[in-house]
Amino acid sequence: MVHEAIAATNAIVVLDVPLPGIVWGWIITMNMWAKSIGTGIIFITFFLLKKYPEETGFIRFPAVVVSIVFIHLFLFFTVIDLHQMFRFWHIFFYPHMTSAITIGAWMATGFVGLLLAMAYFIYMHPRKDKEMYDKLLGYTVILAIPVTLYTAGLMAQSTARELWQMPTESAQMILAALLAGSATMILLGGNRFNNRIKKDLGLILGLSAFSAFILYMAEYIFGGMKAEEVIATLEFIKGGEYTIMFWIGQVMAFIIPMVLVCLSIKKESYYLLKIAAVSALVGLWVAKHVWLVIPQLLNMS
Amino acid sequence: MQLGFLVDLRLCMGCKGCEIACKVENEVPLSTWRLRVKYVDVGSFPETRRTFTPLRCNHCANAPCERICPVSALHYIENGIVNIDKERCIGCAGCVMACPYGAIYIDPQTQTADKCTYCAHRIASSMMPSCVVACPVEANIFGDLDDPLSNISKYIQQHQGNVQVRKPEKGTDPHHFYVGGGNVQLNPLASFRGEGHNLFNKLTHLPLGGHH
Repeated sequence: MVHEAIAATNAIVVLDVPLPGIVWGWIITMNMWAKSIGTGIIFITFFLLKKYPEETGFIRFPAVVVSIVFIHLFLFFTVIDLHQMFRFWHIFFYPHMTSAITIGAWMATGFVGLLLAMAYFIYMHPRKDKEMYDKLLGYTVILAIPVTLYTAGLMAQSTARELWQMPTESAQMILAALLAGSATMILLGGNRFNNRIKKDLGLILGLSAFSAFILYMAEYIFGGMKAEEVIATLEFIKGGEYTIMFWIGQVMAFIIPMVLVCLSIKKESYYLLKIAAVSALVGLWVAKHVWLVIPQLLNMS
Repeated sequence: MQLGFLVDLRLCMGCKGCEIACKVENEVPLSTWRLRVKYVDVGSFPETRRTFTPLRCNHCANAPCERICPVSALHYIENGIVNIDKERCIGCAGCVMACPYGAIYIDPQTQTADKCTYCAHRIASSMMPSCVVACPVEANIFGDLDDPLSNISKYIQQHQGNVQVRKPEKGTDPHHFYVGGGNVQLNPLASFRGEGHNLFNKLTHLPLGGHH
């Protein structure tokens, strides 16, 4: 809708013209970003407890709290993005199982239930039942996979948006979870981790950043060779209005963490690793936001 | 029964009567469209012409909007129409993302998804869609694709080789056809599109499609 105030009459002229707009904006970016941390921290916790059970036992409680907080942030942003948020319950009472949104909502609900159970057993249970926590963690990790991936399914079902291709997006979602999970764990662990654990976390962070960067660059360079919609979409980051934001995201989320991880391993500096973690978390939001928005700028009709 | 639409673009003269009739019949709010007549100017002055293309929901047999809808608000009815239950819609806008034709919008008044329903409420009362009735040159042809004797089936038969759908590569199997169309009319990426409306200056944009 477009309007103009005419000074002579102070009337508002309303022109009934179609203008493209962004429907899924920063709220959905927050949704994906928070989910990456919420599930990623669970993946990393599982890895650490399996590989270093003695040295990393203290992370059980803080890790599940971080996951609960960020998964609820993800759910909060999911709900507030709905234009009819008070009908959210329709997903559970009128479920349409071909929709990735429905599958995601059910999986996320189960995931939250398991997280709460884990929190109960490690904090409120009289015996601080670590065994039960670890047993539930196994199921939680399994459920974290579809919770992480369902957004990729949703993007794949968005037939209109050629840029979002399923194999690539699913890999990007898992990599984002590993990136965000390792970065959060680096910040969460403080200096209580030994050098081997720090090195492992740094490697996960660096390799996730490296792999995700390769995928983005592959899309950036070769994506347009298969579909004209992708060419038109990528123009927004190849000299278009989202170019600077795209590169800020790539540099902060992937390039800086890669470089700092290498330096931190060489110099055994945990301080550099923490900077890498912060940069990765901030950059991930930017990178995801650009990728979310640019296909929506394309004219469909 | 499989209801479908065909537009003979050689007949359409861009009067936008269908657009207005649709707006009135369905109380479509400002800035949103169930049916929009797109025009594209072709050529350089003085060798110019203007093409017109009515665009509406394609009521696809393999509708991405129906598949992505988490609550079945978008659903098929027995005559093949992809209908919408606005009371059930949660406004997630998944359908807006899924539709390759940009045919779905968020109604700023109801805050739910909306789109052309081929005037399902009129069809239920044995009336033609309002856009068909309003067209002065009968460029909009509507009927049962399963009936070989229907006007639309005969039209498709008579114009074999010149019947197209929008974006066939998407695999949506649209039930909306065009005769006499080309890349200019049917491919949104084929033409340069200026930003917004440029008849006036000092324009400001009001929020579109609800809160966002």
